[in-house]
Amino acid sequence: MNLQFNNKKITGILTVLPEKEIKFEDEIDNYSFSSSQSMKLKLIMGYNKRRVVKENTTTSDLCIFGLNYLFEKKLLNKDEIDGLVLVTQSPDHFMPPTSHIIHGILNLKQDMVCMDINQGCSGYVIGLNQAFMLLEQEEINKVVLLNADTLSKKVSKNDRNNNPQIGDGAAITIVEKDISNSPIFSSVKVDGSGSDVLIIPAGGFKMPSSQETSILKKDESGNLRSLNHLVMQGDNVFNFVQREVPPMVEKLLESAAVTDNDIDYYMFHQPNKFMLKKLASKMGCSEEKMPNNIVENFGNSSGATIPMTITFNLGNKLLKESFFVCMAGFGVGLSWASLLIKLENLTFCEMIDFK
Amino acid sequence: MENFESTISEILEVESIELNDYLESFDAWDSLTILSIIAFCDSEYKVTLSADEINKSETINGLKELVKSKM
Repeated sequence: MNLQFNNKKITGILTVLPEKEIKFEDEIDNYSFSSSQSMKLKLIMGYNKRRVVKENTTTSDLCIFGLNYLFEKKLLNKDEIDGLVLVTQSPDHFMPPTSHIIHGILNLKQDMVCMDINQGCSGYVIGLNQAFMLLEQEEINKVVLLNADTLSKKVSKNDRNNNPQIGDGAAITIVEKDISNSPIFSSVKVDGSGSDVLIIPAGGFKMPSSQETSILKKDESGNLRSLNHLVMQGDNVFNFVQREVPPMVEKLLESAAVTDNDIDYYMFHQPNKFMLKKLASKMGCSEEKMPNNIVENFGNSSGATIPMTITFNLGNKLLKESFFVCMAGFGVGLSWASLLIKLENLTFCEMIDFK
Repeated sequence: MENFESTISEILEVESIELNDYLESFDAWDSLTILSIIAFCDSEYKVTLSADEINKSETINGLKELVKSKM
């Protein structure tokens, strides 16, 4: 489905990196791979180091730390927030919404829209679309979009499909009304028949966590996992992304009447380097235009990887320069979504460390 | 499909392969090798394979026939 928005803009992006750094080499013994196989895995997938939270740090902690940083630096005024949208799959609790916990601790005003959205890898584009829709309202002038996850806690240390790439993190994006900006084009797609391709089977209301669901079992590739852990059908995800994402982006460019030459950067969700390289080659775009350096430095933090890519690769450049960017997120759901937007004159665009 | 055998042997990290070789008999046979084969067949032949189909094809020839059947 095509969506279009007018007179909206992104005015600031902050990403928050959690406290713990883990090196790939330090965990090789966890996997049922020989060390040469593991080094091949590292080389092809582009694994190196990743950032994860400590045991007691939650999604709300990461968001509150980032928001307080913005308040203290006077980059964001509390009273101007008319909407708070948190996209996460690792809420502090099932109830209440984590966005409300953040609202309460930061003592935000009552007159606002506050909501959680359960989306993963496509969550940045989905969240931006939601923020743009809220801004259609007369009384809503500024929306704070939060993308945060701490899914490392749900990945088995002995699962070489997921553990070497999983990262945690948060992103804060300020979205505002704007009178001068060019239209924003978006495309969203869903295939719920693939809802079991990426799943945490136990821990919800259908299958509550129990002693039984925490028993580790070996899969046919030798990975140890329990029903409380995240499980992914890697080949299905790979095929889905290669099949669906290039045509979606092609149609998005068509609908905006632009070509690859007009795009400065493809800021895509980053599950691993291999996936991004194959996507670039299938789309016929240069690898320089599609940064793939997030997983090797910080890990895959789900909906936060696109803003991480922007803050890490462009950073302060976006305060002065202007870039036409194509974003795309894809994964759990299955859900895939893309967005064409001009990024320029941001008030801030940086990465900070959670302390 | 003239470069099929040469690319597959490269992915399997051996100098040459025979059509009746069993896939599981190669030292390099693992999930990463399977993913490399999926990516190769996707870009070279526009054929989508699943890990399960590849495993069930058993031999180099079985794999080749599987790709052909989808072209």
